[in-house]
Amino acid sequence: MMAPTQVDGPVRAVHPPVEGGFSLRQYPAFWRMASLALFFLAWEIAGRVPISYAFPTFSATFAAFLSMLFDGSLFAAYGETLQPLIIGIAISGVIGIVLGIVMGLSRSAEWLVAPLFIVLQAAPMAALIPLITFVYGIGLVAKTLAVIMLALPVIVLNGYKAVRNANPSLVAMCRSFQGTKLQQIAKIIIPDASPVIFAGLRLGLAAGFIGVILAELLITPTGIGDLITYHRSVANYAEMYAAVVSIILVSTLTLAALEAFEMRVLRPEKRRG
Amino acid sequence: MFKMFSGLKASAAALAVGAALVVSGAAEAAKVRVAFGDIASVESLHLLAAFERAKEQGVDIEVTYLKSEDIAAQAVVGGQADIGVGGPYALVQKVKAPIRMFLQLSTLRFYPAVNAQFYKTWKDLDGQEIAVHSRGSGTEAIMKLMEDRQGIKFSKISYIPGSEVRTGALLQGNVKATIVDSAGRRLLETQAPGKFVILPLEGVSATDEALFANTAFLEKNAADVDKIVEAIITTWREVTANPAVVTDLRAKYKLLPDLPAAQVAEIVPYFQELAQGKAFPLNGGGAAAAKDDFAFYTLSGQLTGDPASLKVEDFWDTRSLDRALAKLGTK
Repeated sequence: MMAPTQVDGPVRAVHPPVEGGFSLRQYPAFWRMASLALFFLAWEIAGRVPISYAFPTFSATFAAFLSMLFDGSLFAAYGETLQPLIIGIAISGVIGIVLGIVMGLSRSAEWLVAPLFIVLQAAPMAALIPLITFVYGIGLVAKTLAVIMLALPVIVLNGYKAVRNANPSLVAMCRSFQGTKLQQIAKIIIPDASPVIFAGLRLGLAAGFIGVILAELLITPTGIGDLITYHRSVANYAEMYAAVVSIILVSTLTLAALEAFEMRVLRPEKRRG
Repeated sequence: MFKMFSGLKASAAALAVGAALVVSGAAEAAKVRVAFGDIASVESLHLLAAFERAKEQGVDIEVTYLKSEDIAAQAVVGGQADIGVGGPYALVQKVKAPIRMFLQLSTLRFYPAVNAQFYKTWKDLDGQEIAVHSRGSGTEAIMKLMEDRQGIKFSKISYIPGSEVRTGALLQGNVKATIVDSAGRRLLETQAPGKFVILPLEGVSATDEALFANTAFLEKNAADVDKIVEAIITTWREVTANPAVVTDLRAKYKLLPDLPAAQVAEIVPYFQELAQGKAFPLNGGGAAAAKDDFAFYTLSGQLTGDPASLKVEDFWDTRSLDRALAKLGTK
């Protein structure tokens, strides 16, 4: 599982502090920018060689990105792409957390439901998505379902593990204070499990991004999937790469914002550390 | 004496092995890898038969089926395939890929179909929604061309990939106006006779599929390319004269042996309809086809610039075709 490593907070906490000079601790933003700049430089060189006729340079891609940003085509595309993503994540979030908590609390629910989600999580979704169209056609329902198929297992399994591993001494404390079963769940178990549940939501959103793009590439081209397919079909490779990079950018920024929110609201102790 | 004989035998054997190696090496180098952008179906039977005929002429052809025309074009550009099937105009113009088309296989054959309950003519489509294959596709270009010619304006163009999907949507009533291929048209006519109107489409002529290859390959393998071009033109002419010959060719070369019976029954009607519609280019396209394509594909967005300023030699290598036509005559 990826959850525990993610939950442990930012990576910089793992590095020993470096003394003096241009250290990571003093200038983390600088080193991050340098890493990106190096990557873009390598891209530019690879594009100029060129490694393939269909591989644009970084500068051409960046120019295409700006032109798509200013002519509004990127915004229009995201308007379409975010629809199934948001609906799918909302449904997966609600169902996933409820199912996860129920499974964490009840062994029989766990035996009934867990195997399905473990199998779903291991299944190669790209192969299953075309099958959705046989039942649900090619509309919004099919795409939302693709998002749910990718996001739900992660959210359910994280929620279930978080609840199952709630701190036993806190639970014992609740019992010794004569707390009812309901109080035990609402006041002890769920608050204690919430950071890991939230991490599950974050991973679910990342999976949802994969789901929505797969759906747009495999079911019908809309939104970002349409930009990618269209520009590929008319050989505008810079625009095609720009669309691909934009979705990476959007998903990275969304996940980073969610992580920042998580740090601030759910685990203030980690921020200080 | 005996010793000398055995020495002779050894050197003869070495010579034989060497010759075999050279021959097999030459055969290896001469293998022509053809990349299709789609799986083999009834619609490619005549092409597969033509390849079999080229094989009989000594061209070693290996066919692979890829997921889309784009990927087939990338395979040719990248050198993993020698000949591709498709119409890579955009690829040639925008990234200057060193590939050229050398034979037109088919022209676009699509039929604008509308639900007769709502629409009867092109004019009725003014302000209405239509569905086409995808953005920048031939079907979209046809509909836009007709929009211009008829002086009408569609309210919205939606994208539904797959002619069979659009045909189904039309039959189910999810879509009221769209554009389908000849199989879709026949399905509409058999499933719901009189319920749909096929709108007239005149003067639209553009390449649907062509054969293309790297310029270096065309230089080096002119003899093989000539044989392929001749085989295809001969087959196309034969099929146009007698569409039923495709069934015989399929039996003779054991093509698509696993075809379900329902599709086997489709073979003759499919080729009959295309032959009647003169859909098989009998002279392989060439410069005339390229000129038509320039006009059509600038409209669809595949090509940019003034059609008159585009040069045939930047997109086509007609030398093999010219040699084949000199031999076979034009029709």
